[in-house]
Amino acid sequence: MVGQLADHTAPHLIGVRHHSPALAAVLPALLDAAAPEVLLVELPGELGQWLPHLADPALTAPVALSGAGRDGAGVAFYPFADFSPELAAIRWARRNGVEVRPCDLPLASRDDHRDDHRGGGPRHGSPLADALRRTVTGRQGDDLWDRLVEAAAPGQAPEAVRRAALYVGWALRSDSAGPDGDGVDPHDLRREEWMRHAVAEVGGRRCAAVIGSFHAAALLRGPDGPREPVPPADVVTSLVPYGFALLDERSGYPAGIRDPEWQQAVLAAAGDPAEIEAAAARVITAVCAGVRRHGHPAGPAEAREALRLSIDLARLRGLPAPGRGEVVEAVQTVLTHAEPLGRGRVVAQAAGEVLVGHRTGLLAPGTPRSGLAPAVEELLEELRLPGPASREPVQLRLDPLRSPLDARRETTLHRLRALGVPYATETATTGVGGGDTLSTRWTVKWTPATAATLPVAGLWGAAVEPAARGRLLARRADRAAGPGHTPSDVLTDLATAAACGLPEVVDEVLDDLATVLPAAATLPELLTGLDLLDRLRAGHLPGTPATVLDGHPLLVEELESAAVAQVDGLAGSHDPADARAMVELGLRHDTRGTALRLAATLARLTTDGAPVIAGAAGATQVLLGLATPTDLGARVGSWSDTATTPDRRDLLRLGLTGVLAAAAPLLETPEALNPLLDRVEALADKDFLDRLPALRGAFTTIGPAARTRVLEVVEHRTGARVDVAGAPDPEDLADWLAAEQDAVAVAAAHSIPAPSPASPDSAVARPEQAEQPAPDVGGLAAGVRWRLVLGTRGDRPEGAVRYAAALDELYGRERGEGAAQGGLGADRSSPFPDVREWSDELAELFGDGVREEVLAAAVEGGRVEAALEIDPASVRPSVELLRTVLSLAGGLSESTLARLRPLVARLVQELTAQLATRIRPALSGLLLPTPTRRPGGKLDLPRTLRANLATARRDATGRVVVVPEHPVFRTRGRKASDWRLILAVDVSGSMEASTVWSALTASVFAGVPSLSTHFLAFSTEVVDLTDKVGDPLSLLLEVRVGGGTHIAGALRHARSLVTVPERTMVVLVSDFEEGGPVAGLTAQVRELVTTGVTVLGCASLDDTGAARYSASVAGALVAAGMPVAALSPQELARWVGEKVRG
Amino acid sequence: MTATAPPTRQVEPAEDAHAAELAFLAAFDQGRRPPGWRLTPRAAVTFVMGSGGDALPLPGKVAGLPARLAITPKFVGDRALVERAVVTLAGERGLLLVGEPGTAKSMLSELLAAAVSGSSQLTVQGTAGTTEDQLRYGWNYALLLAEGPSPRALVPSPVLTAMRTGAVVRVEEVTRCLPEVQDALVSILSDRRISVPELSGTDGATVHAAPGFTVIATANLRDRGVSEMSAALKRRFNFEAVGPIGDLAAETELVRRQAKAALDRVEAPFAVDDVVLEALVTAFRDLRNGVSEEGWAVERPSTVMSTAEAVSVATAIGLADAYFPGDRDPLSLLPGHLLGVVRKDDPADAARLLGYWDGAVRRRAEGGARAWRRLWELRDVLDS
Repeated sequence: MVGQLADHTAPHLIGVRHHSPALAAVLPALLDAAAPEVLLVELPGELGQWLPHLADPALTAPVALSGAGRDGAGVAFYPFADFSPELAAIRWARRNGVEVRPCDLPLASRDDHRDDHRGGGPRHGSPLADALRRTVTGRQGDDLWDRLVEAAAPGQAPEAVRRAALYVGWALRSDSAGPDGDGVDPHDLRREEWMRHAVAEVGGRRCAAVIGSFHAAALLRGPDGPREPVPPADVVTSLVPYGFALLDERSGYPAGIRDPEWQQAVLAAAGDPAEIEAAAARVITAVCAGVRRHGHPAGPAEAREALRLSIDLARLRGLPAPGRGEVVEAVQTVLTHAEPLGRGRVVAQAAGEVLVGHRTGLLAPGTPRSGLAPAVEELLEELRLPGPASREPVQLRLDPLRSPLDARRETTLHRLRALGVPYATETATTGVGGGDTLSTRWTVKWTPATAATLPVAGLWGAAVEPAARGRLLARRADRAAGPGHTPSDVLTDLATAAACGLPEVVDEVLDDLATVLPAAATLPELLTGLDLLDRLRAGHLPGTPATVLDGHPLLVEELESAAVAQVDGLAGSHDPADARAMVELGLRHDTRGTALRLAATLARLTTDGAPVIAGAAGATQVLLGLATPTDLGARVGSWSDTATTPDRRDLLRLGLTGVLAAAAPLLETPEALNPLLDRVEALADKDFLDRLPALRGAFTTIGPAARTRVLEVVEHRTGARVDVAGAPDPEDLADWLAAEQDAVAVAAAHSIPAPSPASPDSAVARPEQAEQPAPDVGGLAAGVRWRLVLGTRGDRPEGAVRYAAALDELYGRERGEGAAQGGLGADRSSPFPDVREWSDELAELFGDGVREEVLAAAVEGGRVEAALEIDPASVRPSVELLRTVLSLAGGLSESTLARLRPLVARLVQELTAQLATRIRPALSGLLLPTPTRRPGGKLDLPRTLRANLATARRDATGRVVVVPEHPVFRTRGRKASDWRLILAVDVSGSMEASTVWSALTASVFAGVPSLSTHFLAFSTEVVDLTDKVGDPLSLLLEVRVGGGTHIAGALRHARSLVTVPERTMVVLVSDFEEGGPVAGLTAQVRELVTTGVTVLGCASLDDTGAARYSASVAGALVAAGMPVAALSPQELARWVGEKVRG
Repeated sequence: MTATAPPTRQVEPAEDAHAAELAFLAAFDQGRRPPGWRLTPRAAVTFVMGSGGDALPLPGKVAGLPARLAITPKFVGDRALVERAVVTLAGERGLLLVGEPGTAKSMLSELLAAAVSGSSQLTVQGTAGTTEDQLRYGWNYALLLAEGPSPRALVPSPVLTAMRTGAVVRVEEVTRCLPEVQDALVSILSDRRISVPELSGTDGATVHAAPGFTVIATANLRDRGVSEMSAALKRRFNFEAVGPIGDLAAETELVRRQAKAALDRVEAPFAVDDVVLEALVTAFRDLRNGVSEEGWAVERPSTVMSTAEAVSVATAIGLADAYFPGDRDPLSLLPGHLLGVVRKDDPADAARLLGYWDGAVRRRAEGGARAWRRLWELRDVLDS
């Protein structure tokens, strides 16, 4: 059969693959031998006009021919490089003055087929190809063509290469057409029929056909029927320069080939095995140099070994010279060290640079203008958008879901933006209730910059849609080849692709989403992703139908599972936003049955989590039906019952904040809140007032609108409006209260049992009590209390004006839904003149203990002056207070800072002293060489002699011989004096508490003589504060919290500090929410671990042991060899001590 | 004292178990051999990968060998990997086989050593207690103290023996050795000689490697408590990553065979259902690969889920069935066993197993597979 193909003369068949250095090298010789008068090439007729320009000797490959219908249908894309046999044939024809005719089906007659070059590749059931494959060795996924044609070609005669190519094509075709195959694609059959007509048209002239080897067998006979008519269609064609980066198959562009630079080298070798070996040597040396440039060792020894391995592999497989596969395998084996993430990535990057290359093509002078710029101008005119003729900016309001024209405009503007063409800018719009808007606003202007950037963007494609697609795919491929995707990259890609109306790209990005997000995303990112998917499903993005999600039926579920895995990492959070995220996730899950894992995680968090998270977890349990509202209610009630100390009141505030994150849905089941409501109403005045700041603090987090709803529930409960007429005069009430409390105090001082106001006889004895609205509890009525807890600013409940005003001072500023309401109305309250007065008022109203709490809360809320009111001498040192004071220090003038310094100094001193006494014991101890029975070290001669004296005896000559039954050795003594501890501390906003603890701990470590301690503070930058490490005060004042997180950068700097890896510890304190690609981070960790550095990741460094961190990234670090834990400073010290002692 | 002869060995080394094949291949392929090799590289590949079911004909008649012999496949995996490994050894370079535990790295190294030098006995088994003596040389201390340093008092290590004879030495679990011990290999692999300073001035002062000497080391990637190799040592090895078995059916078959063999040793019948075995192996593969057979994402636990562990679970289930027959259905034991395998060092792993149940197990149960429906019903076992 192959003989029949090879011997066929009308036409003379040259089966090719679109890119094939082996064939391109022999093609001139083959054509010389055949000497045709007409050359048929497999190109659609419409592209024929470009052939003279393509053959122009001034043209530099790579270039690309493309054609598409005006409506975007029937896109065909033909990149050409020097190693494309078609280009070689066309160039030969020009040199020899032979006529070239395109013989493929015209684009106008095509249905929407995209990839038409390989023909029907084997999908399943390919007995012949499998049999062939078995005869040659090689990797399983290897292309049959590569094995049989390319790898075998060096040193062969041109005719033998042609036969091998025809053979492979025939084998693939027989498999497709055979009983187990899928049959030949009907579209291919149509094309072949057209080719047969083209052959017939040549008539009697000598003719050669350069066609896909798959189609060769179809040209053995004449046409079956009359030629099909070509429908009239407007086809736009273009010839544009192209680049090797895009030609590489992995760039996502169609009709590419792997590693074009290697193919070019093979072409240049022109089939000489020795030349190919030389090319392999060049490539391998260049890869080694690239690896060295990235800072990894790879010397000539490795290069030599890789080359030897590739040549020997080729020999073992019976090939004349190493092919691409052998070179890649050898480079992998010798250089990557089986570390796909660390070195593997570096090697892949270096190999990519060498094998893919950066060549770009150039059109010959005089080639007509085509491509993106004319296409865009035409499109803008069609869409009635301002074109080159206009200079004025135009405001547009588009309603893409109602008007199809607007939808097209919208996607076009998005596409141009994705291409980096400065043309349109989107103005943000806000919808009702903070929701998404469906209409968009744009400012559009054609500027000279627009015109200038279009030709650049034209490299990506010849029309807006393919160019935008190419741009996005190339960006994606770039990242995949380099550092890897970050979750935010993928989310951006998805949003852009969806807005650009590129369903195929969306489809691919959704694949990334499924792999990248579960592995590295934080909970908010996952929720953003889910939100985006919801919008896609709802069809809110024009041009991207909701059906793109059909190919990913499980995506939402997978992201939700990933989000559940992240919930574990929230345990230590104090952020209400995290609590809300958890509740949102819970509500999402509710719709499809409760998951085991979420249930288990929530159960754990309710007991172990930080108060906010414990509260939110409890509330979520109720929402999911995992716990009864009554249980939750009892727990909340108990918080309130035990809130007798400042610490417990803090717990009440935080826990309640967490519960209220689920406020809206919870209000539907009042049982959960009832116990709390009961308590608020039933508490004695004094107790209520103690708890009031905590309660109000919690309710502030939910925003005014939600609070109003709570108030409605309360009013419904109490059955009374708060502002009832006839309530007792507030001033009188306050006086009564004060008088009564004084009296009780005096009575207590004289050991007289105070009469219980609730007892019936006292009610009789003091009739005025009965007139009060809530006689059994004290002076403040339930309604008044609720007003105090829930009131908005300026909302002064009758009878408690002063309390309310004092608290408004603190919680006055509103956030969230409804905050803007009444913003225009005059504030009815008279603000306190200054902090001092306020502070006095607080002391009078609530007592000193509560005052300190409120002041601390004020400091947290950004009131610097409040910090100055705190008395350094009597303050209760706590890390929280220190943290909040420090967070303000950044914005202070030097003079204010000077006044604040005593407070900070005292806090730091107290805390450091406390910490030092706790952790010093863990750091003592030193090691000396010890005797051992285990062989390994030096033989301890004196000890050995002593231990074996019993076996000493005289030998025949009278000498004393000791038979050492028990030799004693010395272990290697380790000096503990030169350990280096590098603390890399994340100061990116979310880590303040750990920052403070780290600085304090570092200062204690700095006092230990056997350790030299380094302190690196990092966000996106790294600051080395080692010179300040002994003085925690200045250390803390130097640290500026805020910014993003780039852990890999910090570790890179830490690595530069390592001199003796075996005696270096790198402790990373971070929440692991890495801003860069996770792969880069794990590579750095691996690098550290590999050199022998002892590493430890602290998800948090504080005294709670509960951390808030990204569970997925932490997991990746553990896999890379860095243990991760949430530690207290003592535990860290114990760990350090153990390591130093060995 | 009993009449039946006790089995001499539990496991036969490769060169004894496949002695006939080795002799046959040596006669079959008479091509050029690297110095010190028993087989040609091509025959070595055939020895490991098998002859694909074809019986190979011997070119001429050799006494004691059959005229045709089919070589059995011994390693389930990528042929290209074995080719690279053989070529590496042919270049006298060190070969390092890395991979997760239970991926037959040791078996592969044994087969390669047997094919190349006819013996897999020169082996250093790496542990945290391995000393430099085992990689270089030690002393017979009694002789040393009595006579002073002499070649007689020197105790050669397997490495030293291999250098003298030009053979392949295997270093198992090289990452378990302490880094300073590992580093003894660096100079051996680059200089190809060991100097014995105690014997300086005599012939024995330096031991040179004979042609053919090379090292096959194996290392686990995911074991805890291993010492990382230094970059200097890494650069002297070619690395091959051996992956887990790619095919569900092949792995199930392997688990069945080995579990059956374990039960045979205690003379108990192996009566575990294919359905149970397949569910077991599927669960192991899903959790190991981080992606289910259907392509769903699965969160990987940090614990190693090796085939060897699957075998031990299958054996445990088989034993339970043999000694407590009819007590409980084998499938109901599976979740508990999986939890036991997963919950080793990281408590979060138990949560990941729950996630697996939420995802893959539930979806399969909803898809109607009976075994998986039963497993989904058994979910309460996990939630403790």
